[in-house]
Amino acid sequence: MGETKLFFGPNHPGMHGNFSVHMYVEGDIVKRARPVPGFLHRGFEKLMERRYWYSNISLIPRICVPEPDINEICYAMAVEKIAKLEVPERAQWIRMIVLELARIANHIWSVGGIGGPLGLYTASYWGVADRDRILDIFEALTGARIYHMYIIIGGVRKNMTPKIEDMIWKTLDYIESRLPDYENLIFKNRIVHSRLKGRLILTQEQALEMGVTGVGIRATGVEYDIRKVDPYLFYDKVEFEVPTATDGDAFSRLYLKFKEILQSIKIVRQALERMPQSDKVNVSLGKGSGLRRVVPRGMAYAHVESTRGEYGFFVVSDGKNKPYRVAVRGASYPQGLYGIEKYLPGTRIEDVPIWLATMDVCAPEIDR
Amino acid sequence: MTNSMNEAIEALGAFQPTIEVIDEREIKVSVSPDKVISTLELLKSLGYSHLSLLTCIDWIDDNQFELVYILFSWKDGGKFIVSTRIDRNNPRFVTVKEIWPVARFYEREIHEFFGVKFIGNDDMRPLFLELWDDKPPLRKDFDPLEYSKKKFPGREYRKDVLGEAKKIFRGEING
Repeated sequence: MGETKLFFGPNHPGMHGNFSVHMYVEGDIVKRARPVPGFLHRGFEKLMERRYWYSNISLIPRICVPEPDINEICYAMAVEKIAKLEVPERAQWIRMIVLELARIANHIWSVGGIGGPLGLYTASYWGVADRDRILDIFEALTGARIYHMYIIIGGVRKNMTPKIEDMIWKTLDYIESRLPDYENLIFKNRIVHSRLKGRLILTQEQALEMGVTGVGIRATGVEYDIRKVDPYLFYDKVEFEVPTATDGDAFSRLYLKFKEILQSIKIVRQALERMPQSDKVNVSLGKGSGLRRVVPRGMAYAHVESTRGEYGFFVVSDGKNKPYRVAVRGASYPQGLYGIEKYLPGTRIEDVPIWLATMDVCAPEIDR
Repeated sequence: MTNSMNEAIEALGAFQPTIEVIDEREIKVSVSPDKVISTLELLKSLGYSHLSLLTCIDWIDDNQFELVYILFSWKDGGKFIVSTRIDRNNPRFVTVKEIWPVARFYEREIHEFFGVKFIGNDDMRPLFLELWDDKPPLRKDFDPLEYSKKKFPGREYRKDVLGEAKKIFRGEING
């Protein structure tokens, strides 16, 4: 039998976002695979060069929908580094809370989302419903459910009220109480075991060679987490663990995500307890056209640990009121482009969506 | 600055780099184009083995492109921004896909958006854009508005958004 060309995506129920994989298959074995991004390219990097430093905050959350806050924090941290801005302490703690809540939301969605390619739809519905509770917090805190535009250059937009803190405590308790249900539904499920266990094994050498970050590398037994290796905000002041596994298969990647939810809950609780009371949560923009402020010449790279791995912004300023160049490092760039081409040949057709799901290939951050 | 960063800077001395400290864990190293590959190889052997990003900056006033390689160490969290400037009129550079295989895609992207050719990387097909027929779009002299006008001549541009908003505010039209 000869080779057949199959298009997986961009319109496919098992596909995560607007992304396509062209597969050349023989029977159900993938012989060659070619990633085809570009369905979503909106030219963010060019758009950002044409907007003021502060207006860009409202543009960049659109780069990645499941976890938009990482864009704001990377951009803000890079600009603060160039402009040498001192962020108030309370703002840093609030930033941490927002980032970890976004992390929980994305992990729940992604753990439940495995139900899509597997046909276990209850998990997807649960994931969406529980994520919604966190979106409620964001709505109370920032006024928006998805695109928050809350973390700005020099701090956060407004203070966190005791009422919202209370809401976070309650939601965390609820999420924690739901975790055993997820474990029973997904991780003790025979379908999940037979489709994920021992499948799509990525070895440590392969992961390092590809430059895979995040759960992809942690599932091979390496404790690489930017929050530990290169701590930003106050991650060096809170206690949390970096869960690792040794199998390197799809199951352990998914299970690590699940375990990380508990660690994020731990971090948010510590942050809520240790956050100082203060009214100052941002650096004042000053009177008049504060939005058009200039940033001194220089360049800086800021990166954070997103749910998919290392996410970063490289920002260049030529001393004007708009960025000269901004480059975005999408976290799923290695596994979404090089990984597909290099790794997927030899696997079966049904494994392709599992790779995309457990590696969290997010199309918009590859395209930008 | 961490110990290994100090050691790396010492070892880099032979390449006569211009060093700029951005942060306690972030250093920018500018070298001449012929020394980039050796600098990158040396840094990789010293533990800066993760290529975070490979990108390009268009310095149109100097008629140069700046290629930027960001290396990260998983051991101590140090970052090296290695940069070099190449001629903008004939932008060509050597590929680093042998050192970091994933760089192939970054190079493809830079070729598409800036027009820099990478010698040794034979795969220079477009990655994101389809049927693109103008100059590389991330160059500073590319004007998106002009391009849109040329490409979609029937469309209305520069709508008076502010004037319309004022009218809605005054209650003259129903927004």
